[in-house]
Amino acid sequence: MEQVNQEDWLDKELREAAPYIHDEGFTARVLRQLPPPRRSSDLLRATILLGMTFLASVLAYIVSGGGRFVSNTFERLAALPVLWVFALALMTGLVIAALGAAVALSRGRGLETSFLRT
Amino acid sequence: MELTDADLVARVLVDDDQHAFGELVRRHQSAVRGLLRQLTRTDVALADDLGQQTFLRAYKNIRSFRGEARFSTWLYRIAYNCFREDARRRKELVGIDEEQLQTQHDPQATNPGLRHDLMRALSLLPLNERSAVLLCCQNGLSHDEAARVLDIPLGTVKTNVLRGREKLKRMLVEWGPN
Repeated sequence: MEQVNQEDWLDKELREAAPYIHDEGFTARVLRQLPPPRRSSDLLRATILLGMTFLASVLAYIVSGGGRFVSNTFERLAALPVLWVFALALMTGLVIAALGAAVALSRGRGLETSFLRT
Repeated sequence: MELTDADLVARVLVDDDQHAFGELVRRHQSAVRGLLRQLTRTDVALADDLGQQTFLRAYKNIRSFRGEARFSTWLYRIAYNCFREDARRRKELVGIDEEQLQTQHDPQATNPGLRHDLMRALSLLPLNERSAVLLCCQNGLSHDEAARVLDIPLGTVKTNVLRGREKLKRMLVEWGPN
C-alpha cells in the first residue's frame, strides 16, 4: 500500500512539474516559417488541365474530319420522325435534370457538414 | 463547436489551411516544448528551436499522419527525433551512469524545493529512462504509445520507466511519504 502511495505521489509530482508553457509568440514564429500555401500549384494544375482539354478538343476536331460528324448527325436527326426527335429531347432533358439534382444534393450535404463543423 | 485535431488536420490536408495548422500549434506547443525542455535538461532556447523544427517538420510531413495514433503522439515522435538528431550532432547522447548520478546529487542544493529537486533528479537520469518517464508519467502516454514515439520495443519502455522511477524515488527519498 505504501508502495502504491509512493508511486501516486511521484506521478502527481511529475505531472505538476510540467506547468503550462504560455505561447508568447511561439505559434506566430512557427507560422512565419511555413512555406507559402499551395495556391500557386493549384493554379498550375488547373492551367495544365485546361490546356490538355483544349489540345484534346483540337485533336478530336482534326481527327473527326473538321467536325463533319456534327453536321452528319444533324442531317440524320432531321431525317428522323418528329415524334422520335421529341422523345430524344425529353430523355436528354430528364437525364440532365437528374444529374443536376444529384450534384445539388451532394453539394447541399457538403455545406451542411461544414456548417455543423464550424 | 470546437474542432477536433482530426478536423484541423483534414483542413490542412485538403485546403492547405495554415490557420488550422496554427490552431494545432497553439494546442500542442506547451506539451511539445515542455517535453523538449526536459529532454534538453532545461535548455529553454534549444528546446524552443527544436520545438519550431518539430512543428515545421510536422507541417511538411502531415500527409504521413494516418490518424492511427493521437496527433500529440505523432508530434512527440517528431520532437523526439528532432532532439535525437540534434543531440547526435552535439554528441550529447551519452547517458549519465549510476556513479555520476550519485556524485552529482547534492542534497544540500541551494534551492531545496521539491519541484527543483525533481527537475534536477530527472535531468540526471540517462536519456532512455528520462524519455520513458517523461512520456509515460508526465505526459500520460501509454507504454505502447511511448514505444512508438521512442521507436523501441514495448518491454524496453516498461523496463526504462521502472528503472527511471526507482532512481527518482531513491534520489527524492527525503520528499517521499513515510
